Amino acid sequence: MPKDLHNNICDKSLFEAFFKKHAKDLHDFLYYKFGADLNPKDKVQDAFIKLWQNCGKVPPNKAKSFLFTTANNLMLNEVAHQKVVLRHQKSQPKSITHESPEYALREKEFKQKLDTAIANLTEAQRVAFLLNRVEGKRFKEIAEILNISTKAVEKRIYGALKKLREDIEGL
Amino acid sequence: MNREDLIQKWLDNNLNANELEAFKQLEDYDALMKLSNGLAEFKAPEYNTSEELDIVLSKLDTENSTKSINFFKPLMRIAAVLVICFSAYYYTTTLDTKINTDIAQKTSVFLPDQSEVQLNAESSMTYNENDWDEERSLLLEGEAFFKVAKGETFSVNTSAGIVSVLGTEFNVRQRNNIFEVICYEGLVAVTYDNEKTKLYPGDTFLIVNGKRIVNEKENNQQPTWITNESSFRSIPFSEVIAELERQYDVSVAFDQSLIDAELLFTGRFTHNNLDIALKSITLPLNLGYQKTDNSIILTRG
Repeated sequence: MPKDLHNNICDKSLFEAFFKKHAKDLHDFLYYKFGADLNPKDKVQDAFIKLWQNCGKVPPNKAKSFLFTTANNLMLNEVAHQKVVLRHQKSQPKSITHESPEYALREKEFKQKLDTAIANLTEAQRVAFLLNRVEGKRFKEIAEILNISTKAVEKRIYGALKKLREDIEGL
Repeated sequence: MNREDLIQKWLDNNLNANELEAFKQLEDYDALMKLSNGLAEFKAPEYNTSEELDIVLSKLDTENSTKSINFFKPLMRIAAVLVICFSAYYYTTTLDTKINTDIAQKTSVFLPDQSEVQLNAESSMTYNENDWDEERSLLLEGEAFFKVAKGETFSVNTSAGIVSVLGTEFNVRQRNNIFEVICYEGLVAVTYDNEKTKLYPGDTFLIVNGKRIVNEKENNQQPTWITNESSFRSIPFSEVIAELERQYDVSVAFDQSLIDAELLFTGRFTHNNLDIALKSITLPLNLGYQKTDNSIILTRG
């Protein structure tokens, strides 16, 4: 039976390695789930601080799920009912200038439709779909982050894509 | 490979070259690409992992310093409780032990070194249990019989004088103006008026009203009061009456003009029967008595 050398992550270098491995995923997960208004960065910090404070009680194989659960709860505590707002990255001014006004209008329209469609997705669909499409994560990686099966991830993402397309075409 | 599988594989970033070609041939390829590209704007803000790590670590450091204060506080509380417990313990253990007997009550006490003290009625003894190993010394008021274990000097302090011994048996009686020490075994030193007198077994040291009275040798192994009998040798009659009052809880009155209270009495009375006791002390002096409840009047003839 393999024995864990470390039965907690109270060691600072272990903690740092753990942070580097999971901080970005946690941040992205929180961002796509709860939006930008609830300061996902702060929640990531708080969750890691909580993990450090409880490092003696959390075995390394439970640390990731402790971290994600803690961060999730912190978010839920803050504003359970707040409407999710994903803030658009300010789109870079297009360097291409030969767009026809008609084309520009259609682009604008499309963006609005996409906004609405994304907002209409279920939370589970949105998180999985955006992690996949925007962060380029593979199903297996998402499954690990969300702690669900790959099959479920597949279902959520495909479902989200289908719904988006229907919505955009219907609008 | 059907359309749905291709899309699934595309979503999973898992298309090989052939499949990619097939995927590109799909009629909704453009729409999918457009959708996919449109989503880029939803990208989460840049997350600088090392920067964030530094922030968390610095927060942890401040956390640690506040944590140590939090950890200090309960420690102080525990320390305070311990100090209170310890001082209470210290106070109670260094207190003197005092043993009292009431009228018609006798008691036997073992001191920490197994020396035995028997206290006669209406007497008190004070000693310190903690210091006993260093100094075998006690304060006596009244009368007591000592069986002292061998060891360092054992002293009995009374208001009249100090009795000090090494290991022996002796009786000390200090009542009113009487100071009597009888040695039963070993060697007893009595300091009275800065004068030291050594008593060998059977020797008696008696002071009545400041005057030394010499008695013949004592033959008993222990004082008679231990076996519920008070005995007197050349003791003023007033003290005999006082002892009777101590043993029976009665009050005795007599006319001082008819009966001489300072008359030295030699004799004994029992502690078990008041009538016999009264007869024992009145008949030899040719006295009579009247008894009503707890008060007794002595009469002449």
